[in-house]
Amino acid sequence: MAISEQTSIPSTPPITSNPTTSTTTSPPPDCHDSLMPSQFPAVPAVFGPVPNRAYHEGFMRKAIEMAELALASDETPVGCVFVHNGEVIGRGINGTNASLNGTRHAEFVGLAEIMAKHPQRILTQTDLYVTVEPCIMCASALRQYGIRAVYFGCLNDRFGGCGGVMQIHADRGVDPPYPVYGGLFREEAIMLLRRFYVQENEKGWRQAMKTAREVSLTKRLFAAPEPKPKKNRELKTEILPVTNVNPTANLTRTSTPAG
Amino acid sequence: MAARADSKAPSPTEPAELPVRQMIHLKTKEECRLGNETIQVWAVEMPSKHAEGILKVVKDRIEGQDAVDLQHLRRFAKPKSLPKHVLGKRDLIKEMYAIPRAWESTPLSVMQAPSTAVWEYSVPAKPRINHKPQTLYLLICGTNLISLSELHNLLLEYAPFCSSADSWAYPLEIKEVTVPRQAPTSPAQADMWTDNYWPTFYRKTNPFGAHPATIAKAEEDLSHPGYESVGVEEAMILAERAAHETQAMGYGVGPGCTIIERVDNKAEILAVAGDARHKALPSTAGMTDAQDACSGNVMGHAVMRAIGMIGRKRLRVASHPVSSKAAKAERTFENCGLDHDEKARDGFFLDLPVTPLEEEYFAQDNIKPDGYLCLRLEVFLTHEPCIMCSMALVHSRVGKVIFSERMTQTGGLTAEMVSNDTGPVGLGYGLCWRKELNWQFMCWEYAQQEEEKAGKAGKAIPVGNVDHHQATSTASANTNPDQHLALTSAPTSAPAKPTAMLSDDNANVSSFASTHV
Repeated sequence: MAISEQTSIPSTPPITSNPTTSTTTSPPPDCHDSLMPSQFPAVPAVFGPVPNRAYHEGFMRKAIEMAELALASDETPVGCVFVHNGEVIGRGINGTNASLNGTRHAEFVGLAEIMAKHPQRILTQTDLYVTVEPCIMCASALRQYGIRAVYFGCLNDRFGGCGGVMQIHADRGVDPPYPVYGGLFREEAIMLLRRFYVQENEKGWRQAMKTAREVSLTKRLFAAPEPKPKKNRELKTEILPVTNVNPTANLTRTSTPAG
Repeated sequence: MAARADSKAPSPTEPAELPVRQMIHLKTKEECRLGNETIQVWAVEMPSKHAEGILKVVKDRIEGQDAVDLQHLRRFAKPKSLPKHVLGKRDLIKEMYAIPRAWESTPLSVMQAPSTAVWEYSVPAKPRINHKPQTLYLLICGTNLISLSELHNLLLEYAPFCSSADSWAYPLEIKEVTVPRQAPTSPAQADMWTDNYWPTFYRKTNPFGAHPATIAKAEEDLSHPGYESVGVEEAMILAERAAHETQAMGYGVGPGCTIIERVDNKAEILAVAGDARHKALPSTAGMTDAQDACSGNVMGHAVMRAIGMIGRKRLRVASHPVSSKAAKAERTFENCGLDHDEKARDGFFLDLPVTPLEEEYFAQDNIKPDGYLCLRLEVFLTHEPCIMCSMALVHSRVGKVIFSERMTQTGGLTAEMVSNDTGPVGLGYGLCWRKELNWQFMCWEYAQQEEEKAGKAGKAIPVGNVDHHQATSTASANTNPDQHLALTSAPTSAPAKPTAMLSDDNANVSSFASTHV
């Protein structure tokens, strides 16, 4: 079963992003952002217009292809390519199942390919194209490596580090921040994940029926938690548009507790 | 196993070279954030014999009280247990009423209750020495539930605030009081809030972090390990040794990591890794990364290396189904057209031992077969890990993390955002316990005891809120002053002195402080 950040997007809720300046009376849930001076607005508009979009879509297409290949091999469909001077120098898919290491995300696999041939400083002239927003860990690693820019498909609302949950790419920190452009082939990136979950679920249901009685107590304690498969999970095709809502509006604040 | 023997029995007569260190559980983000939130409530004073009656009225007539849980606050408070600024200046009108009257010392008499025809005996109150009636303050409800005028009109309908045949009305004076919104997370915090806001209970629960009992149990296990076990001091010394070894080889900059599996008071050391960020990449062919002009290979951070070693150990001892599954995933790489140069990959990820000490623990097949990632393992670190490593620990499902030194410029585990929280201000991510993320783990700072620390030149890290009364919240200065327990805003305290945006700890940054660890 997938153990990377992408396990969390079965139903694609509308993407939310905090308004950047309208939170003067109540700080956003992550006070972090409102307190820290940053070169970027409190929450960067990761779904803003992408300059020269067609050019970048060309490379995102290659990242999608990587994800398609992964899906064909029952691997979590997240793909990425690193591009330097218009040339792909690193490609990656999720490597957690092969390494039994929960940190071996597609970005890291791609970085390994780069570092096999290039010095590390090449990354300061390299852009990343990844189908799903980098997680908090990858976002921090990319910043420490000095990546030039990140382009992604859909947000990761469970542990995204470039706007989905946190803004690791732009927060106060010792490394220079990097720009992030989201929404390139967003629908395709989401559909890839949904197809994967439906596919895994069908396999998982048969498997779960078979092994349900064999699981011993120790295994329950130390083995991976098997998600309970839902019967009849259908492939949803509707994708909600990117919306701009204020998630802090109904949060409990001083003298206006949630009623 | 020399380290184990050494640290097991430290001779008490030996002069302590190492300062005594203790585990201090980290505040979670929620504790730092919500713990500082307050709410406005109405409160009213009344003779204590009417308290229950008025409480019933309040419960019956004001709706929506269940929405906000204020169980951590006393519903009734004696005037003497309230802070002075809540009592305020004594109402002179009320003083005038404080002469003995019917509702406090009714002489034994037969009287008729209003609007009934029943005659009954009224029992006189016990004579009091000071003849002052005993009163209580009732915490009514949040100010958002009912307006002041509505509440005023409501209470005037009921005794003792309505005048009746047997008594003058007790003067109705409704106060607006600021109280902590959330339950306290320690007895010390409850005491502090009692002194500053309203009598507060500590109920030995913590909605914003691990349960106090779980924390206490873990601290006991780690501080007093059994014969076959490994304690925090020993594990930390091992991490320090690993760090020194890689540093001596020119690979590392000082951090080290030990990972332990503890089952039923037995502990196994699974992995030991030192920082190796400056180990040359295969591509640079021996060129040091000073020539490569970068701050090192991020994958060489001690945490990433140790987690990687666990994964490799798991592969090594995996049963057939698990290893064939991994092999299938490995073949997927070929299907995707990814050539894998093993040597280059290992050189980048650095998840193989590079020193004899690392090798000693890596070589042992002491890991439970077919376990999941680093589920519930214990991680000991010389330094607070960077954001990447902190999130890697979340992804790996670790159980406990103990680190020695805070990294206020780069660390991802501490949550303190403002200087009146319990530690120095850092980046404030608090990744060890974020309810937004799908895994939480307990986390401790393993630091010198407070007094010794304070004694050390200039770098006092206050632990516990009590010492920090005078510190002003920078958050309250910047956002909404009412949202945080800015203690200086209490009328009795000195006027607020906003501190600098960043604490002193951040002002004098040594070059290492801004290193990712």
